[in-house]
Amino acid sequence: MNANNPYIPELATIIETFDETPDVKTFRVVLQDPAKMAAFRFEPGQVAQLSVFGTGESTFVICSPPTRMEYLQFSVMRVGELTHRLHTLKQGDPIGLRAPLGNHFPYQDMQGKDIVFIGGGLGMAPLRTLLLFMLDNRADYGNITLIYGGRTPEHLCFKDELKQWAERGDMRVELTVDNPDAAWQGRTGVVPAVLTELAVRPENAVAVTCGPPIMIRFTLEALGKLGFKDEQIVTTLERRMKCGVGLCGRCNIGEKFVCVDGPVFTQAQLKGLPQEF
Amino acid sequence: MVDRFLKDSDLAVVTAAWARDFRVLAPVREGAAIVYRLFSEDMHPFLLRPPTSSAKEAILPQTENLFTYKYRKDQTDLTRTEVFLAEALPPEPTLILGPRPCDARGRHLLDRVFLERGVVDPQYKAHRAATLFVTVACTSMQNTCFCHWTGGALDDESGSDVLLHPVTIGGVGGYVAHAVTPAGEKLLANLPEAPAEKLAELAARRAATPEPEPAPDLAGIADAFLAVFDDLDFWTDQSARCLSCGVCTYLCPTCSCFNITDENHGMSGRRLRTWDTCMSALYTLEGSGHNPRISRAHRLRNRVGHKFSYHPREFPEAATAPSGCEFSCTGCGRCIKSCPVAVDIRQIVLDVLAKAAEKAPDKAGGAK
Repeated sequence: MNANNPYIPELATIIETFDETPDVKTFRVVLQDPAKMAAFRFEPGQVAQLSVFGTGESTFVICSPPTRMEYLQFSVMRVGELTHRLHTLKQGDPIGLRAPLGNHFPYQDMQGKDIVFIGGGLGMAPLRTLLLFMLDNRADYGNITLIYGGRTPEHLCFKDELKQWAERGDMRVELTVDNPDAAWQGRTGVVPAVLTELAVRPENAVAVTCGPPIMIRFTLEALGKLGFKDEQIVTTLERRMKCGVGLCGRCNIGEKFVCVDGPVFTQAQLKGLPQEF
Repeated sequence: MVDRFLKDSDLAVVTAAWARDFRVLAPVREGAAIVYRLFSEDMHPFLLRPPTSSAKEAILPQTENLFTYKYRKDQTDLTRTEVFLAEALPPEPTLILGPRPCDARGRHLLDRVFLERGVVDPQYKAHRAATLFVTVACTSMQNTCFCHWTGGALDDESGSDVLLHPVTIGGVGGYVAHAVTPAGEKLLANLPEAPAEKLAELAARRAATPEPEPAPDLAGIADAFLAVFDDLDFWTDQSARCLSCGVCTYLCPTCSCFNITDENHGMSGRRLRTWDTCMSALYTLEGSGHNPRISRAHRLRNRVGHKFSYHPREFPEAATAPSGCEFSCTGCGRCIKSCPVAVDIRQIVLDVLAKAAEKAPDKAGGAK
C-alpha cells in the first residue's frame, strides 16, 4: 500500500496470463519497483484491488501464497466491465495494485489440526493460497483433504495442480462435477453430497470453504450434521467493494466492514452479525 | 474573545474580504432551494433560512479527483504502454458561510469515518484542515428539526469556527459574531465590537426561546434495532413509500458513502471519488448478480441502522446525545424535509423502539 495515500495504486506489470476455464483467466503480476516487490508482505487470504486505469478497480484474492513471492497471482472470472477489460490485457501490460487489504485465514490457529478444504468453482482461488501455504509448511498441519467441485470438468480451476496434489501422497483430493463429460474420471454430484459421503471427521479438524452462496449454504448444513462446530468452520465473504480500507461504506454488515474485518470469517463470527449477506 | 457585530448590510462586503483569502462557499436562493455556490461580488448570501443542502460538500466534495493517470506508448515498441500517476492537487483554503449548528456538528461525525475509524483519508484530512465553518445559529426549530435528540441545540458551537447569532429586532439587523476557534477569531478581527444593547438583546432572546419538546429516550435504540433487524415485514412496511431516490443521503450532513470511478479521455484520465447512496440497488450489487440488499426494505434498514445502531456500536465511548451515546445523525431533518414521499426517520426510530418492546417487553429501553 502507498503509505501516504491509500487510494493510489502501486504500478505493476503482468508477466504471464493463461486461461483456467472458459471464463476464468489467471494473471501473474510483479510490482514495477523491484525494491517494493522485495519488500511486499501479505498473509494468506488477503486481497488486492486491481486497477485498469480508465475502467476502474475491483477486488481479488491474492491466490498465490506468501511462501512463493516470485509473483502475485490472481484468477479472475469475466463477469463485469472491469473483468472484461482485464481479460483483454496481455503479458507486459501495466496495471495498478493496492494490497494487501483485509484480514487473513487464521492459519496459526489451524496448526496441528486436520484441514478440510471445500471449494466450488472459482471459490478455489482463496483456498489455493492457503493450501499452497500449508503444503509449503506441511509439517505444521495434520491430514489435508480437498473436496472441490465445478459445473463441468472444464470449469475446474488449477487443473494441473489438482493432478499434482492428488499425486503428492500427503493429501487427499476429491473432485466432483455437476455435469461430467466422457473423459471424466472423478465423482459426479454436488460438493456437500461428497462431503457427507466421505463422512469427514470433525475431531481436531478445521473446515475451510469457499464457493457460490448456494454451495456454502448446503456445505454448512452438511458440516453441521457431521459434527463440525461453528468455530471450526472458516469461510470468506464476497461483497461489492470500492475503497478496500473501510471508508466507502458499501461492504458493511452491521458495524463490520468486509474489506477490513473480513473477508475471512468463522461461521461463529458470521452468526454474531446481522444476517444480511 | 470579545463578540463582534456584523451588520446585515455589511455581509456582502465582509464576505468579499474573506474571499480574498479563501474560496468562499455561500448560500444563495435558486428556485425553491438554497444551495452553496462559489461566492462572487455580485452575490448576496442568503442566511435567513437553513440551506437545502448540508455543508459537507466543503470538506467532502460531491466529486473530486483521487489522482490522475496518463498512458504513454513505448516509442520503440508500440504494443507496449507505460502508465504514470499524479496525486490530486491539495485543496484551497475554504470558508463556508451559512451552515447551521447541525451541519457543523456533522464535521465530527465525518471525522469519525475519515480520521478515526482506521485508515486516515488524506484528502479528507486536507480539506478538513483547510476549511472554516462560519455558522449561523438558529433562532427557532422547524417542524422537521430534532437536533436535541442527538445532543445538538439551536446555538451549539461544536464544529464551528465562528457562530453568527442573528439579532434582528430594534434598529440595525445583523449578527453577533462569536469566534469559536482562533482561526475564527482572525476572520472577525476587523469587525467592531458588539454593542452592549445587541448582546443584551441576544441574551433576552435566548432566555425567551422555548425549550423544545423533550427528546425521547433513545438509550436502547442500538440494540432495539438489532432486535427488529430480521423482521422484514416491519421494514417493508416502513419503506413502502420509499422511492430509492437517495435525496436523504445526498442532503445528509453525515452520510459519507462514496463511489470510485474512472473518467477516461483518450490516453489519460482521472479516478474520481463521488458521493454514493445506500438507497441505490446498484450500491451493493455484486458481479455475480447477488445483492445482499435487494429491496428498499433492506436499504432503508441499512440507513437507519447505520445512523442509530452501527455507529453507536462502532464508537461506544462517544456520548454526545442525551441518551449517553452518539448517533451518526445531527437531527438536521433534511432527510425528512426533502423526502418526496415524507419518510420520517424520527418515526422509524420510535417505531423500532416500540416494535422491539413488543418483541421483548422486559428488555426494551423503549420510548418514554
